[in-house]
Amino acid sequence: MALPAASQAPVRAPHPLRAEAVRGFAPWAGAAVLLTAGTMLAATADRWQGDWAATATEVHTALMITLPLAGAAGCWQGGRERRRGTEELWGTTVRPPLARLLAAALPVALWAAVGYVAVVLLALLATWPYVQGDRIHPALLPGDTVAMAAATLIGHVLGRVAPARLAAPLLGVAGFLGLGTTLGARSAAVRALSPVTSSLDELPVWWQSGVMAVWTGGLALAAVLACAARRRVTVLLPLAAALTAGTLLAQTGDGLWRPDPLARRQVCDTSVTPAVCVNARYAGMLPQVRDTLAGITGKLEGVRNLPARWADHAGAPHADEAQLPGITPLGWSTVRGRLTDPQEFAWEAVTALEGTDCPESMMTERVLWADDAVESYLAPNALQRKGLVPGDGPAEERRLLAARARLAGMPERQRRDWLSAYFAARAGCDPKEVPAL
Amino acid sequence: MRTTHGRTVRTTHGRTVRTAHGPLLYARSRALPLTLAALAGTALFAVWAAGRLDAYLDPGRRVPIVALAPLLASAVIGTSLYSASDELDRTAVRPWWPRRLGQLTALAALAAALVAPAVLGHAETFGAPAVVRNTLGCTGITAAAAVLLGARLSWLPAFAYVTAVYLGSATAHGRAAAVWAWPMQPGAQRGAWAVAVAAFAVGAVLYAVRGARPEGSRA
Repeated sequence: MALPAASQAPVRAPHPLRAEAVRGFAPWAGAAVLLTAGTMLAATADRWQGDWAATATEVHTALMITLPLAGAAGCWQGGRERRRGTEELWGTTVRPPLARLLAAALPVALWAAVGYVAVVLLALLATWPYVQGDRIHPALLPGDTVAMAAATLIGHVLGRVAPARLAAPLLGVAGFLGLGTTLGARSAAVRALSPVTSSLDELPVWWQSGVMAVWTGGLALAAVLACAARRRVTVLLPLAAALTAGTLLAQTGDGLWRPDPLARRQVCDTSVTPAVCVNARYAGMLPQVRDTLAGITGKLEGVRNLPARWADHAGAPHADEAQLPGITPLGWSTVRGRLTDPQEFAWEAVTALEGTDCPESMMTERVLWADDAVESYLAPNALQRKGLVPGDGPAEERRLLAARARLAGMPERQRRDWLSAYFAARAGCDPKEVPAL
Repeated sequence: MRTTHGRTVRTTHGRTVRTAHGPLLYARSRALPLTLAALAGTALFAVWAAGRLDAYLDPGRRVPIVALAPLLASAVIGTSLYSASDELDRTAVRPWWPRRLGQLTALAALAAALVAPAVLGHAETFGAPAVVRNTLGCTGITAAAAVLLGARLSWLPAFAYVTAVYLGSATAHGRAAAVWAWPMQPGAQRGAWAVAVAAFAVGAVLYAVRGARPEGSRA
């Protein structure tokens, strides 16, 4: 006898994790993380868009709000069975407590981490069209993602043990305050243990992210096991791992961060005098900066005693260099790869040529007037373009305007000689050598 | 057996029992004693934190208190809007809106009055007016969230918004920033006041008319 054709494959019940992950609160938690961090990043876009390093720092800083949010979301989920009144019902099932806890907690942790990773990817996409050099800095992402999941799990355990409606918002606000406090902590060990710490223009050492993941993930796993494991002694394993990682982080302290080797390098255009250099991290800005300074370099052709170049490297400029006006931090003079105010940038470049290292006593009236005339001739700022002068009273104003007019009206050769003498005197910090106008 | 508000009544069995007043019953059904204690705790925390900030050097250092203490107070108020007997409440013949409106406005006023003394002085920048404004705004958002999401989760939108703006508005200036970054503005910003008062008005009206979203044993 032929068996009836097995037309109906046995229907398998979907895994409980799947049901928890696609329904209920978990996807909303991910959406909340995405929206919150997205709002914050959108509001600060001028500060990071167009710079891989700034983008990496900013999305890492966003942990300040996403970690407390993930903790609060976990806490809310942890109190679910109490709100539903299904704790006793759950107690009658054959599943062990750990499996029951993880089935409720893991989807929220997963969604919170996915929400964070989505924010990071969106930020990288937003930066991409405007980058001027450098490369992606993904080193912190693994540790940050694990920290998000860990915060959710710790929140879940707290929500399960704390029977209060206010537990979740309290945890959120306390987490926000606590993380903010660690950022400004005097102790290097506290800063190193905080998952939100970053260092301006510095990169983490290669193992920082992994060890941070063990530190936060170990603590979360220990909390979960302490709450629900059948053998409580298993807590010791993740706890030992977390403490080892924490000790390593705390002992290393500020050594977790190293200077970006690329920030020491610069790319230069030596076809003009002074040469124009920008930092290798935003090498793509060189043509724009050179064009912005072209008016100055054109007027300075043939002038002697100038600095060799406008420099833009980590550390102070060398003796024969003038500091290029700051392109970073982004959001001020540069936004999305464009100089926001080229004329102001050019004026700042002239003031850098004048030299800033001289003592206060050098800044006599004669020097200040000469500076003003040189700036007005090479690259006037907004006030100087309008013919406004900073002098005291009409008599001084007339004399300043006359000085500007004399320098602008000099024959070409005479002006070159005057400027050569002026820059020599400014470089030597000698007010008496500044030629008269 | 009949009971009336706040009277000593005799039951059919001849025993005398004392019943609570209507408003008192309402207060107990909304866990108001616990809410008042939590608001007092928030105020104490704000006073303690303000003392540690050396704000006399720079009023800007008070920003964490000005932004976060009203947020915490609004979370307390929001969770107090929960009713354990929602379906039963809706069968009552008395209008609920005066009680709801009274509860929300009284708690918001109390929260502002309790937290504001932590940041006295510097009214033009980050002082008591900014705390009052943020309490109004956060409570409004939370009340609206209680109508849409339910009272127990009503803290979430205000928490997400205020923390995002806290980090995101550091370099924001101008008229638009005064509107979207209202929790971080100095006390004298008119745009920020307009947004906060509007948020409170919308939240209070929504909550007074609709009440918190029924939750039951769901969620």
